[in-house]
Amino acid sequence: MSTPSEVAEAALPRDPREPLSPRHHTPTGRRRLIAIVGSPNCGKSTLFNKLTGLRQKVANYPGVTVEKKAGLCTLPDGCVVELLDLPGTYSLRPTSPDEVVVRDVLLGVQPDTALPDLTLFVLDATRLERQLYVCLQAIEIGRPVIVVLNMMDTAKEEGLEIDVDLVARVLGTPVAPVSAKTGEGIESLREAMDRDVPPPHPLKHGLPQSVRDAVDRVSAMLPLRGPLTQVSGRHVALALLLDEGEDDPLLRSVPAPVRDKVRRLRNTLDEAVPEWRVHEPIGHYQAIEELIGTVARRTRAPRASARERIDKVLTHRIFGPVLFVALMAVVFQSVFAWAMPIQDLIDSAVSAVGRVIGPILPAGPIRSLVVDGVIAGVGAVVTFVPQIAILFLFIALMEDSGYLARGAFIMDRVMRTFGLSGRAFIPLLSSFACAIPGIMATRTIDNRRDRLTTILIAPFMSCSARLPVYALLIGAFIPNRRVGFLSLAGLILFALYFLGILTAVLVAWTLRRTALKGSRPLYVMELPPYRLPAWRSVLVTVAERAWLFVAKAGTVILAVSIVLWFLASYPKNHRAIQPLEQKLEQARTAGDQAATVSLRNEIAGASLRASFAGQAGRLIEPLIKPLGFDWKIGIALLSSFAAREVMVSTMATVYNLDDAEDNSVSLRSKLRHAKDPVTGKPDYTPLVAVSLMVFFVLACQCMSTVAVVKRETNSWGWPIFMIVMMNSLAWVASFAVFQGGKLLGWG
Amino acid sequence: MTPSSGRTQHKSRRLSELTPGARGIIRRVSGESRFARRLMELGLVPGTHVELVRRAPMGDPIELLVRGTHFSIRGSEADRIYVDPI
Repeated sequence: MSTPSEVAEAALPRDPREPLSPRHHTPTGRRRLIAIVGSPNCGKSTLFNKLTGLRQKVANYPGVTVEKKAGLCTLPDGCVVELLDLPGTYSLRPTSPDEVVVRDVLLGVQPDTALPDLTLFVLDATRLERQLYVCLQAIEIGRPVIVVLNMMDTAKEEGLEIDVDLVARVLGTPVAPVSAKTGEGIESLREAMDRDVPPPHPLKHGLPQSVRDAVDRVSAMLPLRGPLTQVSGRHVALALLLDEGEDDPLLRSVPAPVRDKVRRLRNTLDEAVPEWRVHEPIGHYQAIEELIGTVARRTRAPRASARERIDKVLTHRIFGPVLFVALMAVVFQSVFAWAMPIQDLIDSAVSAVGRVIGPILPAGPIRSLVVDGVIAGVGAVVTFVPQIAILFLFIALMEDSGYLARGAFIMDRVMRTFGLSGRAFIPLLSSFACAIPGIMATRTIDNRRDRLTTILIAPFMSCSARLPVYALLIGAFIPNRRVGFLSLAGLILFALYFLGILTAVLVAWTLRRTALKGSRPLYVMELPPYRLPAWRSVLVTVAERAWLFVAKAGTVILAVSIVLWFLASYPKNHRAIQPLEQKLEQARTAGDQAATVSLRNEIAGASLRASFAGQAGRLIEPLIKPLGFDWKIGIALLSSFAAREVMVSTMATVYNLDDAEDNSVSLRSKLRHAKDPVTGKPDYTPLVAVSLMVFFVLACQCMSTVAVVKRETNSWGWPIFMIVMMNSLAWVASFAVFQGGKLLGWG
Repeated sequence: MTPSSGRTQHKSRRLSELTPGARGIIRRVSGESRFARRLMELGLVPGTHVELVRRAPMGDPIELLVRGTHFSIRGSEADRIYVDPI
């Protein structure tokens, strides 16, 4: 048994004085690419973070929603290689988009990714028996592999002894015992990565003769040129036989006649050996049982583990759900309330920057663009960061400690009623604070349809940005009455939140029966052992999510806010504004504070009303009239696309009022007393207010949400679908409320 | 997926019928081949010892212990796994 700091070589140990032949660059001059593969929860990402530090970037694989995580790693002799952290997988015969990517990268057929020069296969040493399955599949590919035995420290604590040298001999690959968390063995692993690793010998296969024949026949048909020539033909042949998908990079990489022959062979096999598909797992597990029997030894019987004691409480019939709800209350409270002071700080910092930079620039369009367009847009992006960081801090802690899976275990039964999985709970709860971090959190949901459904219903949860709008309208129009022991205002607020939830449930139910219909996926979730989270990994996750939001969604948000600024500022109505500006000048020289303020507000109002946004508000009036909204609300609706709470300040500007935050009392009374100049009837009634609030509950009017959905679904189709679906629902619901209310004589 | 062998049928029970804490040996996994294959890839091949550790607070899903790894699967999936109780 070797000490954890040495890497066991498959062949004879190499003489350390022997000159190394490092191939840091392939013959074509590209950096060497090293893929990290393993089952979920094997500590793969911790190892990746350890090897790359912060030198990593995240993108999407083309056309799918699978994240591509790559980073740079410096090897002991100073050369730099590229590391690719592939999604965790239970098998190389894929059943999900993530697993398709893993298989196709390892076979070298994934577009935009080169065939890895070396694979680090990470195994959790405490759960070898289960995790060796994929490892055997990866070795069969016939490309250089280093097996990384992670969590060796925990294995030792649990009384598990593993003969590392023997594992290396049996598998035919170098084996590196490490602890990614403590860093033990990492240096030796780096050195091993520096050396030439020979491709492993093929393992003996427990397949029956008929399957082997089919495999050989497919293998003989494979093209002699192209990407698949550098991997084992038999592995590819079995992969093709088992690939019953429609279209993926593997299928695209073989000619159509081969695909047809594969399909015919598969049909023949189905008739001759109906259960041929399960021979691979049966054969591999036999081999694994033999291997485990020789290499692993328990020095003492496993004692009633800490895991059992913790699970007795955390998944207890009563305490389990109670603790879960309590923890969720803390998470929600943090995202909702703890982020607030930081967000306020950012808000004031942003306006301070505006105040400092503004005067430096020449007055006029440039100053306005920089201050009201760019700086305000950057502010809109940055204010989301505290919420995202706090939510992902909790999610990373829960995921790394193993609690996230228990939460899903507890909630699955409830969420299944709505066609969702237990993992949808946290994203949806967070969406009450803000849909942005909520939608980003859906990446803990592994099933694609579950995840898309959750993304599409998340914006129905009333987020904190709707609250100022509700507060304004309830304050202005809902009489201060009591219903039983409840206030009418509180009751209406509750009804608005409930309306959002109810709609979300109905939409989820409908989606699962229409657009996102499909055979119910196999729901299998590993309940990993409890572990103390590695702080470094947690912080890297938080930083990575915050940065991804700023870099990917932030740019869209910034661009849209500049466009919105332009629409709200142009064209200028000089005829109306010039006399006001003259008066303002007079008032200022006369030192009349009150007149200066009111004139300035009047100018802002006149400019907005004359702008494209103001014109658009009039343009859409016929569309929103049936909902009870006039063109002024139209302007506010359009501007609330920047962020819903902007609706309040836009209404204030339309009504020539100063910043509404200090003045919402005057805005309330202004709204209440606004009258149509022609008919003299009030502009707004309580019914209009209710209709408007219903609209805000259901409408998709947040560009940041749209930008995040675009980034998370890696397509424009889903965000566009979401805009159309939500806004149609909002229109219909508001129409029903307003017209129904009028019929009942409430208008 | 393994051919249904009538001889084990009468004494085998569905995995979902075990009581928490009970153990069994997997006899066969029935149902659509893609699902059966994936369950077997997770280690649930015939002959494997499996323990039903607990049920979730609302009775479903259930937690299994197979080959040193804990999994949660839904009751409808556990219905397809036949075991001989030990």
